[in-house]
Amino acid sequence: MEWFWPEGFYTLLMIGVFAFAAFVWDMPIAVAMAMAAITGAIAAGEGVPLRHQVEGEFGYVDTILIIATAMVFMKVIQRTGLLESIAAWVIRKFRGYPVLLSLGIMFIIMVPGMITGSSTAAVLTTGALVAPVMMELGVPMLQTAAAISMGALFGMIAPPISIPAMIIGAGVDIPYVGFGMPLLICTVPLAVICSLWLIYPYVRKPRDEASLEAQLAKMSRVPMSLRLFLTVIVLVVLLGGERTLPLYWPSLGMPLSFLLASASGLLSGVRWNPIETVTEAIDEALPVMGILMGVGMFIQIMTLTGVRGFVVVSALALPSWTLYLGIAISMPLFGAVSSFGSASVLGVPFLMALLGQNEIVVASALSLVASLGDLMPPTALAGIFAAQVVGEKNYFKVLRHCMLPALLTVCWGIAVILMAKPIAKLIF
Amino acid sequence: MMTLIYRGIGLFVAAFVLRCMFREKSFWKQVTAAMVLIPLILRILLIK
Amino acid sequence: MRSSRGTALTAAALCVAVALICFVSARSFLAMRLPDPVAPAQGFERYNLSHWFPALKGSPGDSDVYIQDSGVPGGTVFIMGGTHPNEPSGYMAAVVYLERAKVTKGRLIVMPFANATAMGHNSPQEASPQYFSLDVDGGTRWFRYGSRATNPVYQWPAPDIYIHAQSGQKLDGGSKSNLNRAYPGVPDDSLTQQVAYGIIQLLNKEKVDLAFDLHEASPEYPVVNAIVAHNRAMELAAMVSMELEMAGIPMRLEPSPVNFRGLSHREWGDHSDALAILMETGNPSQGRLRGKTDAALAVTGKDKAYLKAAALGRLFIPYEGDQTLDLRTARHVTSMKMFMDMLGDVKEGGDVEVEGIPSFDDMMERGIGAFLSPVEDDRFDGK
Ligand SMILES: [Zn+2]
Repeated sequence: MEWFWPEGFYTLLMIGVFAFAAFVWDMPIAVAMAMAAITGAIAAGEGVPLRHQVEGEFGYVDTILIIATAMVFMKVIQRTGLLESIAAWVIRKFRGYPVLLSLGIMFIIMVPGMITGSSTAAVLTTGALVAPVMMELGVPMLQTAAAISMGALFGMIAPPISIPAMIIGAGVDIPYVGFGMPLLICTVPLAVICSLWLIYPYVRKPRDEASLEAQLAKMSRVPMSLRLFLTVIVLVVLLGGERTLPLYWPSLGMPLSFLLASASGLLSGVRWNPIETVTEAIDEALPVMGILMGVGMFIQIMTLTGVRGFVVVSALALPSWTLYLGIAISMPLFGAVSSFGSASVLGVPFLMALLGQNEIVVASALSLVASLGDLMPPTALAGIFAAQVVGEKNYFKVLRHCMLPALLTVCWGIAVILMAKPIAKLIF
Repeated sequence: MMTLIYRGIGLFVAAFVLRCMFREKSFWKQVTAAMVLIPLILRILLIK
Repeated sequence: MRSSRGTALTAAALCVAVALICFVSARSFLAMRLPDPVAPAQGFERYNLSHWFPALKGSPGDSDVYIQDSGVPGGTVFIMGGTHPNEPSGYMAAVVYLERAKVTKGRLIVMPFANATAMGHNSPQEASPQYFSLDVDGGTRWFRYGSRATNPVYQWPAPDIYIHAQSGQKLDGGSKSNLNRAYPGVPDDSLTQQVAYGIIQLLNKEKVDLAFDLHEASPEYPVVNAIVAHNRAMELAAMVSMELEMAGIPMRLEPSPVNFRGLSHREWGDHSDALAILMETGNPSQGRLRGKTDAALAVTGKDKAYLKAAALGRLFIPYEGDQTLDLRTARHVTSMKMFMDMLGDVKEGGDVEVEGIPSFDDMMERGIGAFLSPVEDDRFDGK
């Protein structure tokens, strides 16, 4: 009880206020988070600490720029008709090889996550590209969104760039070197299983040829041309160049790269209204940007009032074998405030609790488990955007289909931690 | 130089957030937009 | 409640509210950029880092450097605090030397707040206090509690990945604003890299014999209450570590890892003739396990979450409910004194003699505030 009071009470109070505001008063998630943060601060005798509220928001100021600009990019490739044209082309070309097609789709979803380290980037770029392909091939809407979400997570964790792994590494002073193989071991088996599980069964089924052909013709009404592809080419060159030739290539950063690629869409030969397109993009990105602001306030107040320490030490207090259970449960749950937050706040202490294994392998596995935070409402950066990409309003329906793959991911993550020593012997 | 460009990007995003706020029909969603504006403004001005 | 209508009028009202919030919080953020006044002991002369690297002139990273020359030939010792301004015992130990030292042989260089812009802001979501205070004879002294990183407004945006220029080593992008990953620095890169470059110039041009970089670490971090020494400094550090053990102030000795680049204890030693030493004390107010976070935590180190973590065997320092700033600062101050006393034994003609430094027991008994001078502080008129 001495341990529980008062931080445990603040924890319950903040969660309670959030749930009440969000579900009973039907407030936007962002506002509900802010209200919970303010209530927590007042209860802890801090008044309304304006400086802390605003400072907490800054934890995500770069992230909201990435989200806003990535969303602009997605809207542009939608408006120019590129999305549907590519989808039609891929279907015509690869329909005969369902296994290859399933694996290829999964890989395509993962690529932007692998090079940017951002699941949002994956969902809003190639995720948006393959969504119409998958649905046209007969994958149901919700499975499509689930596959895109999972692919985005695996892409975020897969090498060469895994920001959660870097965050965990930085917390214990291990440089981001030698993470390639461990991260591949963490992600590739899961990606293969998920593509064969969520995509392949539907792709394999024969379809009504005539109606499909009619649909394909409609989708490819904008002829494929180099100019139409310009946006994607520019993006690949900008982001790819920065990653492959870091010493010679200017570091533009994701927001600028997305905007330049979007701007090149003006040369696509298809007419679209830039002002309206950007407004629509920002309007659709605003709820998530707002949620991140609310979460930022929430974390800062958690830290201020001692709730964060209460949560972390309570998780560490679990006895040895339940420590793994603690990792499996607390990291995805805490990921509700973003997977990067989970990697930093819980990943680092867990890694320290597991010192003596191979740290690089364990950090890789922890980052895999932390990635599931991007499925966790309210933020669910991968999941919510995946739902948006397929046109599903209710994210929870998508989440249901992510449950089993997510469970598998957790189990694999824990298994890799348990086998860290033999794995390290094998690869180093 | 890069900082200047990113201040420009911040301004670009903030301007559209403001536009969305004025077109929004629900008050609480306007509040969400306002929450996003605060850090953007302080960063554009290089205060925080 | 969701049904509350939004109109152009409510939007305009929100704009006013946003402006007001920005104004009020901006004042609080900007006030933190004002420097902490110090009262250097007699004999210290003030310089700026730009003295050794002119490109920094007028930049916000042009940190103060103080030199006291005894006039008697001997060695040169460099004391640097404030690499990470969320680690207060580091810069408080430097301030104690700055305000107390009377150098009788050789020279002493003190750079109390190395990463000047990091002193002037806090990291988001850490909920750090902006200031803490100490009682001194005849008044109160205020010091800022800063951030681990250079203020982002001076090197925004952070890259996605930070590539250490000399080795190609990759770290998360945020590490680009970590001074202790930036050495030996780059003259025409971001502010942090320039400051690091300037410090290397200082070490070389002033022919520093022994250099300290003072830090703190989380109590749950394995390298804490520790001396990290460059291989050339190992012999001296081993002697000091033994001496400290006997004095009942144990500090673990760790060799500087060869394969982790950009850190002071590695690059100072490789890029100058100085014997490079980094020291860490245990600071609950920066740890990830800490509970309620405020100025009191920074000064007392009292924390129930750490007490529980200690009972779980998760900590690398002995923790019995507190870890005062007095204790942490005294560890640094005393360890440095021992290093200086033995410097002449390992480096011919390197003797440096400093008087006026309070002993470990004095600092524990009377608090470090007792050894600081009162100063005029415009920031806290009447507080
Ligand atoms: Zn440090």
